[in-house]
Amino acid sequence: MALVEVQNLVKRYTPTGPNAVDDVSFEIHAGEMFSLLGPNGAGKTTTISMISTLLAPTSGKVLVDGFDVQADPMAVRERIGVAPQDLALYYDLTAEENLRFWGEMRGLGGAELKREIAEKLALMDLTDRAKARVKTFSGGMKRRLNLAIGLLGNPPLVMLDEPTVAIDPQSRRYILDYVKQMNVNGTTVLYTTHYMEEAQELSHRIGIIDHGKLIALGTLEELTQQVGEHETLVLKLHQEEGGAALAEALRGSEEVLQASASDGEVTLNVRSAQAALPLALSQAAGLGLSIRTVDIREPNLETVFLHLTGRALRD
Amino acid sequence: MKKLWTLALKEVRLAFRDVGMLVTMLVTPLVLTLAIGAAFSGGGGTLSDVPVLWLNRDRGTLSQTLVDVFDSEEVRDLIALEPVSDEAAARARVERDEVAVLVIIPEDFSDRAFPQAAQAQQALGLDLTAMDEARFEALTDVQKMELGRIFAQAPTSDAASPVTIELYASPDWRLSTAIVKSLVTQGIEIMNLQTQGVRVIMTRLVAAQIASGADMGARLSAGAFDAATVEEPQTSDLPVRLQIVAPGGRGFNWLDYSATSLSIVFLMFAVTAGGRTLLAEREWGTLPRLLITPTSPLSVLVGKMAGVVLTGLLQVLVLWGATSLVGAHWGPPLLVPLALLVLVTCASGVGAFVSAWAQTAGQASAIGSAVTLIGSALSGSFFPRANLPTWVQQLSLITPQAWGIEIFSKLQSGHGLADVLPLFGGTLLLTACYYSLAVVGFRRQFR
Repeated sequence: MALVEVQNLVKRYTPTGPNAVDDVSFEIHAGEMFSLLGPNGAGKTTTISMISTLLAPTSGKVLVDGFDVQADPMAVRERIGVAPQDLALYYDLTAEENLRFWGEMRGLGGAELKREIAEKLALMDLTDRAKARVKTFSGGMKRRLNLAIGLLGNPPLVMLDEPTVAIDPQSRRYILDYVKQMNVNGTTVLYTTHYMEEAQELSHRIGIIDHGKLIALGTLEELTQQVGEHETLVLKLHQEEGGAALAEALRGSEEVLQASASDGEVTLNVRSAQAALPLALSQAAGLGLSIRTVDIREPNLETVFLHLTGRALRD
Repeated sequence: MKKLWTLALKEVRLAFRDVGMLVTMLVTPLVLTLAIGAAFSGGGGTLSDVPVLWLNRDRGTLSQTLVDVFDSEEVRDLIALEPVSDEAAARARVERDEVAVLVIIPEDFSDRAFPQAAQAQQALGLDLTAMDEARFEALTDVQKMELGRIFAQAPTSDAASPVTIELYASPDWRLSTAIVKSLVTQGIEIMNLQTQGVRVIMTRLVAAQIASGADMGARLSAGAFDAATVEEPQTSDLPVRLQIVAPGGRGFNWLDYSATSLSIVFLMFAVTAGGRTLLAEREWGTLPRLLITPTSPLSVLVGKMAGVVLTGLLQVLVLWGATSLVGAHWGPPLLVPLALLVLVTCASGVGAFVSAWAQTAGQASAIGSAVTLIGSALSGSFFPRANLPTWVQQLSLITPQAWGIEIFSKLQSGHGLADVLPLFGGTLLLTACYYSLAVVGFRRQFR
């Protein structure tokens, strides 16, 4: 049964402007971990904002647990928890005061709220900092608190918008493990990220979004099958500049299906790494570039994105 | 309702945890009020050379005791006593706050406070307050007999109708008035002891004379009074009442004026900053998060503005208490909180209006400060409003500051609820206007 149904969703911020979300449709099943993967500005946050009733769609329809986000927003809000990408905390309140405030705004109170606060503080490893003001917290602690607030009341659908942006590896690992555990316990999760590894690690199904359009949807296996028997060749250059010229030079060759470059790194989608590598090395030498490392990868979401868009996910 | 309270309390908590906000809300207005009050008002007074006017109409000599108290070595530097004779002029000087107190001794003071002394003075030319045994012995028998008659027959002082010493005191010289009152009370105590002592001495001397001199005793017995009536006097307090009178309408006083007007100015700063937090919450990301909780947008708005009102109310209540401690008078204690509630609500309307039409929190802050300062200047928050041209006074009625000054001027000069109700009505009308404009702005901004 679909907990979330998104049907032909469109969002345009100005009447004559481009579509920030362009005819997007997907479903999220109860108990599923669903990721929206795409680069910055792809439309992930706008999509979540419409599902969470914050933004009104220009057209299309969103149902959460059968309730229309536009016709019955309060019913939808009672069923969702959101951890926004930008930290939404009161820095002059303590962690406990933040949790209490947001809990009360969700309609919690009394012993239930007290228990929830203690539980969320413990889950996010913040119990010993419960009485400290948030402005004294590290970035990772703020992220964890931001996430804990989104989980108050244990809503059936939790939407996490890039919850691991700009945090230390330890906090990132903590959050990823908790999200997995939460899903194991039955919570449906809509997770947005531009980190391919997170989507691969967490998700049952992944929707790839770019320029507002949902360009691919399926399990990891289904998506990588779209790339076929191709391989990914990643060349790291000694030079910071020149990657784009090498990618451009390789683009016309028979062995190279797609090529992109960024930060002194050239990513090639090739039929055969063994056949493409000598060509790449010779072209690099011709351009006066020297190659530091060569990495041959199995097809993954990066390859899929490159295959579908002609660009690397981080471009 | 619980969510409104949660939102409002959160606003108060955030406001009072912000050190910068606390300085703006409480410290700055308090320091400015004290500085302006001290610079422009005599209200603070000094503990030396307290100017006291002395209008002594007493026909007798008893009041000299009070003069002696004021002229004593101990208080000579404390009090600058100036004898006056023109009561109207003296009262006017008090009303202008030029002097702390006018002490008025009525002409029948000695007669009513110590009638025996007055009669002895009148009949025998004797000053009983200076009488002792040697002087009594030097009197003739006739004089002694007359004294006996006076003490037996003279009307006793009437405790039910005491003679009144009036202290016409400027309310702005509270500390000085308290000192003068204390000195007059001390003088009355001394007079009390003096007259009690004289009564006892005189009664005993007259009784002893009657007992020892047969001739004297016979003449006294044959006289108009019964020697048996010359009894030990009952100890009683001097029938003198001290009445402290303040001028009927309070004159202009800088401490009072600046305490209220500056408090309202800084209330405006606080509420415009409070209103600004609606925009700041959008920038912090907490407003979107609030709007996806099961709470209606209207409740979020009302809860936040309730928090602004609550914060402002706490601010002005603290300022009222603090400035009152240093002598500022805001008005009748029962009406002041009501006036403050009306004004805070009106000021919050301005805060909401500014926030509703500003684009960013920074813009709201700048506009809020400009609106507050211009409105304060137009309404006369930094100088007497009465000095402004009439058209400016009328124009400034679009500001809560002007209504606040009008309301507190009435309350400070002793007017009651009926007199300020029309002003409350005007302020609430202005509040409705600002909130209506704010609603239009918010709809435009958050549609």
